[in-house]
Amino acid sequence: MMPGIDITGLDGAQAIVLHPDHERLQLLLRQLRAIGLSVETAWPDLPSAAIQANVVLYDVDLGHDEQFPWAPGEAPMPMIALVGSEAPGRLEWASRIGADALLMKPLGAEGVFAALLVARQAFELRRSLAAEIASLRQRLSARQTVVKAVSILARKAVSQDAAYDQLRQMAMAWQITIEAAAVQVIERAQKPGGLRDCS
Amino acid sequence: MKTDIDLGILYSRSGTYSALSEALWLGAMEAIEVVNMAPEIGFAFRPVERDPGGDVQRYAPLCADILASTRARHIIGCVTSSSRKEVIPALDKAGATLWYNVPYEGFETSARVVYSHACTNQNILPILSWAMREYGTAAFLIGSNYIWGWETCRFARHQVEAAGGKVFGERFLPLGDEDVAGLIKEIEVTRPRFILNSLVGASSYAFLRAYRALGARDAYFLPETCPVLSCNLTEAELPLLGAAAEGLIAVGPSFSDQVQLAGRGSSLELTAYRSVLTLAAVLSDMSVEEQAGPFDDFIAEHGANYGIDPATHHCTLDVKIAQVRNGTFDVLADWRDIRPDPYMTRPMRHPQLDGPRLSVVRA
Repeated sequence: MMPGIDITGLDGAQAIVLHPDHERLQLLLRQLRAIGLSVETAWPDLPSAAIQANVVLYDVDLGHDEQFPWAPGEAPMPMIALVGSEAPGRLEWASRIGADALLMKPLGAEGVFAALLVARQAFELRRSLAAEIASLRQRLSARQTVVKAVSILARKAVSQDAAYDQLRQMAMAWQITIEAAAVQVIERAQKPGGLRDCS
Repeated sequence: MKTDIDLGILYSRSGTYSALSEALWLGAMEAIEVVNMAPEIGFAFRPVERDPGGDVQRYAPLCADILASTRARHIIGCVTSSSRKEVIPALDKAGATLWYNVPYEGFETSARVVYSHACTNQNILPILSWAMREYGTAAFLIGSNYIWGWETCRFARHQVEAAGGKVFGERFLPLGDEDVAGLIKEIEVTRPRFILNSLVGASSYAFLRAYRALGARDAYFLPETCPVLSCNLTEAELPLLGAAAEGLIAVGPSFSDQVQLAGRGSSLELTAYRSVLTLAAVLSDMSVEEQAGPFDDFIAEHGANYGIDPATHHCTLDVKIAQVRNGTFDVLADWRDIRPDPYMTRPMRHPQLDGPRLSVVRA
């Protein structure tokens, strides 16, 4: 289930607005401050200290990859694209950089609060999915290691079940996880006579 | 010799919420008189009145009319959130300012509006936390079918569920609708611990009368066990409610400590009155250059001197919770100088329930 949108925590959050100077820029900055954020502007380059910011709003009309101190799509915070031209090439760039939400120009107060909440929600979702994928990948590869270790032990054991049981007992004796024990078994099997210690 | 300054007055003195408008209008007019009589103030306000008659479609054209046909750059007006949102584009175009003197649901900070009455953390937040502590966490939410009702109920649902409570029902009536039988039936069946009423005008009066009748049939629905709470009930509506007002609990920045005739002395009246005086003070303090520049620039720099938060254009207010007893409000809980947090992002500004539980409520 998706968590409800959480409003708290925007107080004192730091926003960096990456946009060239413009007469309407102040309207956007005012609104960000009204919501409770502390605000800095930057152009043309994001300083490396920007990595500490809680949200980045970036101009899409004049933006390019080299402005960011991180690779496209790898921003460590929610990103909001400030879109003027809807040319497909610009939108594609906005998306590749990692837009979690859009704000249409002219710059102003409308939609800023909504964009902040949606961007944070999208960013948190993306981050939790990425973490889940990483942990599933790790478990998947650990499972392959266990299968391999069991098949090594099974050469000497009476059955696959007995081999698995043996691996489990090793893990208990060494006080490590089955996955870690499996890694040990595979490493030792690569040395001549290495498996003698395991039996 | 005083110079004249045009001042727009945009209240619906007819229509479903005219009792509120009337209190606001009276407050504004009284303050205009005070300003115009004061020898130390170098100008007099000339009120330019328009009455949209409670029709939300008429606010924007009438607001534009005031700004186009007179030199007014400040308007005292609007009751509903819908009407406030309607006039903002016209204000934007003319660089004019609306002084909005009614409690509302928050989540807005137009540079063209000064929000003088209570917002989210000064109305719905404290009354809900207080009610859940005093009566329990099973709520029934009702509201008029527009943004005030929707947003108040949405916020209440979020708060109640976050506190581990339950919402037994959430129902909306069209503005002006008086068919409340279904609502009453549902409340009777679900038996909540309290009811949050965000109905306005005729719907609210019809509901409160029917609910009082329900309490007469079934004692569970008396104010002692299942009260009705409101974020927008003031003295201004007590005469319309009569006996049906007894036991109602409201939140607001001020309540009158004595019975006043004809709905006088409400926080609506007082807020409109103060807004006009604040405007007079600001205009007196502004230099010629500042008067020529955008009003919100001046507020951004000096708003705090007038109790207006420069970042949000909302005001620092007292917060009081009070119950109608013998035709007047008795204050049950209060907090002083609560700074506004219309976006609910600044927990430091939220009133805390640190006092003892008020057993006096059940007296």
